[in-house]
Amino acid sequence: MNVDYGLLWHSYSNIFTLNIMFLIFVGVTAGIVIGALPGLTATMGVALLIPLTFGRPPVASLSMLMGIYTGAMYGGAISAILIRTPGTPAAAATVLEGYPMCQKGQAGSAMAMSLFSSFVGGIIGCIIMIFMSPLISGFALEFGPVEYFALAIFGLSVIISVSGRSIVKGVMVGFFGLLLASMGLDPISGYPRFTFGYSELMEGPNFIPTLIGLFAVSEVIANIEKMLKTHKVKAKLNQYLPSWNDIKRSTSALIKGSLIGTVVGAIPGAGGDIAAFIAYAETKRSSKTPELFGTGMVEGVAATESANNSCQGGAMIPLLSLGVPGDAVTAVLLGAFVIQGLQPGPLLYKEHMDLVYAIFASMVVAQFVMQFVGMVGMRFFAKVIMIENSILMPMILVLSMIGSYAMRGNVFDVGLTVVFGIIGFIMQKYDFPLSPILLALILGPMAESNLRRALVISSGNASILFSRPIAIVLMVLAVTFLVLSFFTHKKIERRLAELAVKDVDMTLT
Amino acid sequence: MSSAKGGLVKLADVISGMIGILIGAYVMIKCQSYPEDFVMKIGPAFFPEILAGGLILFSALLILQAMLGKSIGDVERISIRQKGIQRVLLALVGMIIYCAVLKPAGFIIATIPWIMFYMFLLGNRKKLQYVWVPIAITLAVYLVFEKLLVLSLPAGLLSSIL
Repeated sequence: MNVDYGLLWHSYSNIFTLNIMFLIFVGVTAGIVIGALPGLTATMGVALLIPLTFGRPPVASLSMLMGIYTGAMYGGAISAILIRTPGTPAAAATVLEGYPMCQKGQAGSAMAMSLFSSFVGGIIGCIIMIFMSPLISGFALEFGPVEYFALAIFGLSVIISVSGRSIVKGVMVGFFGLLLASMGLDPISGYPRFTFGYSELMEGPNFIPTLIGLFAVSEVIANIEKMLKTHKVKAKLNQYLPSWNDIKRSTSALIKGSLIGTVVGAIPGAGGDIAAFIAYAETKRSSKTPELFGTGMVEGVAATESANNSCQGGAMIPLLSLGVPGDAVTAVLLGAFVIQGLQPGPLLYKEHMDLVYAIFASMVVAQFVMQFVGMVGMRFFAKVIMIENSILMPMILVLSMIGSYAMRGNVFDVGLTVVFGIIGFIMQKYDFPLSPILLALILGPMAESNLRRALVISSGNASILFSRPIAIVLMVLAVTFLVLSFFTHKKIERRLAELAVKDVDMTLT
Repeated sequence: MSSAKGGLVKLADVISGMIGILIGAYVMIKCQSYPEDFVMKIGPAFFPEILAGGLILFSALLILQAMLGKSIGDVERISIRQKGIQRVLLALVGMIIYCAVLKPAGFIIATIPWIMFYMFLLGNRKKLQYVWVPIAITLAVYLVFEKLLVLSLPAGLLSSIL
């Protein structure tokens, strides 16, 4: 499938309407605020704000979600630079150069560069996505149940790389999530499973309340337990765009960061945090003055921020073309598509081509809006970080409860959010990762229904699963990916630990 | 890792492993009562049984790892004696009460005191904020959901005037 240039240009006319531009603007602003607030991640932001898109047509809702996603990926840098606390995990690497710059009194140029490089990274990621994803989806058009089952298994193999420190715990959570996904009516025979007598559980635990509970309510509960102190920002912000000198110095870091980010983003399981660290390491390695890294080098900020924002375009490639989420945020986005009655994957290109291009357009527009909102609101966002937890947390709690309620108008879903909030809180206390649950909730039904469908076709003969070449390739890829992730898991852990040690050293000296 | 901390991780892993095994066992038992498909020999129990098996296997592995002293990760203690956990329990009671009164009392009436409660729980002692913050949050959420998004929130006791 090739890129349809006519439709590509035409899709912008769908986006440049007052209504959609307003929604993208609101989405980007909300995304930056959520990204900037430490503890609130892009995943949580999208989950918390999905209810705001209920009842809107698909283009409008998805444009707003793209805005939130774009904003949140940038927002993390604000707190990383100003208070040495990354607002999102993806901004962790930005702390390394951003905060020393702030200490040297260059907070303004660090903030301006982080915004500009997020914009450049975002645009490059989008361009690659626009050209790559139709190609991949064209290839996937021939998929039947066997291939889809293999694809789901491939998607699930990501669980190891989002497992956190213990792979055993990550896999346990994956199985737990798959069991949660099997609750409700069986996809083939319609037999109710594990509903505990509640008719509300006939379709399984509703995605949005589950999500909000796991990612937002659990965070509020953790805050109530810890009573975290609010940070004070004292930096002077006097610059909206990086100086020409800074841009010239950082050009190679920007290009490298953007390309690394897009590629890493497209690999299932690897997200903005890993991309940013790889881009940082590469920029430092190829620098003429690597010894100065850690003391506030603007190239470092350019590399990490362009990498984590270009990840967005990369991560959208498998989501749109194959219907497989590569990380937690795209898993949430996939849920939002399903709520709109859309199933991402090759069929989306066939049946809703206009919508796919509208998503492309909205992502590109969101990057420009981010640059604009980021410049105009820079001082405001720096103040937002200082909002007291005793006001912020109740606000998130109300949004969580009402967001869960609003979808079906049912108090049961509010209760479900609370239950998953508790589960999420305890899991985090015991160092269990939450992301595998999300992937399992999305991919579980896909795996089961396609497996059973394939077995119906073959009258129960399991050899059908290995009868199609693409399926075999996907299975082999899944196994390879599992083995590779197993070995790289420890390596990445070690490298991150080293960087963390250096980071501590840097502040001590 | 200090030995006390190591012991805590070990204990947490053993407990989590046990919970995993219990969940797996529950699924296995429950699946026995599900009907079997006579044509394909696989019915509604097929997939959950595989998953439960996997969960039990990895839970056992986690316990084994703990027993061999190879637990990894950073675990925090959960004890009823901690002030933080007591606050969490109070917060949970607040959430349960909110679920119960949301429909009969309505969104606005239930939410304003509820926000005050959480502000107090989070250590806010500024009297003026108790007046405007809960009202501002409640009205903003109400206006956005009810008027802008046209999603209906429970009106409850105020149903005659809203």
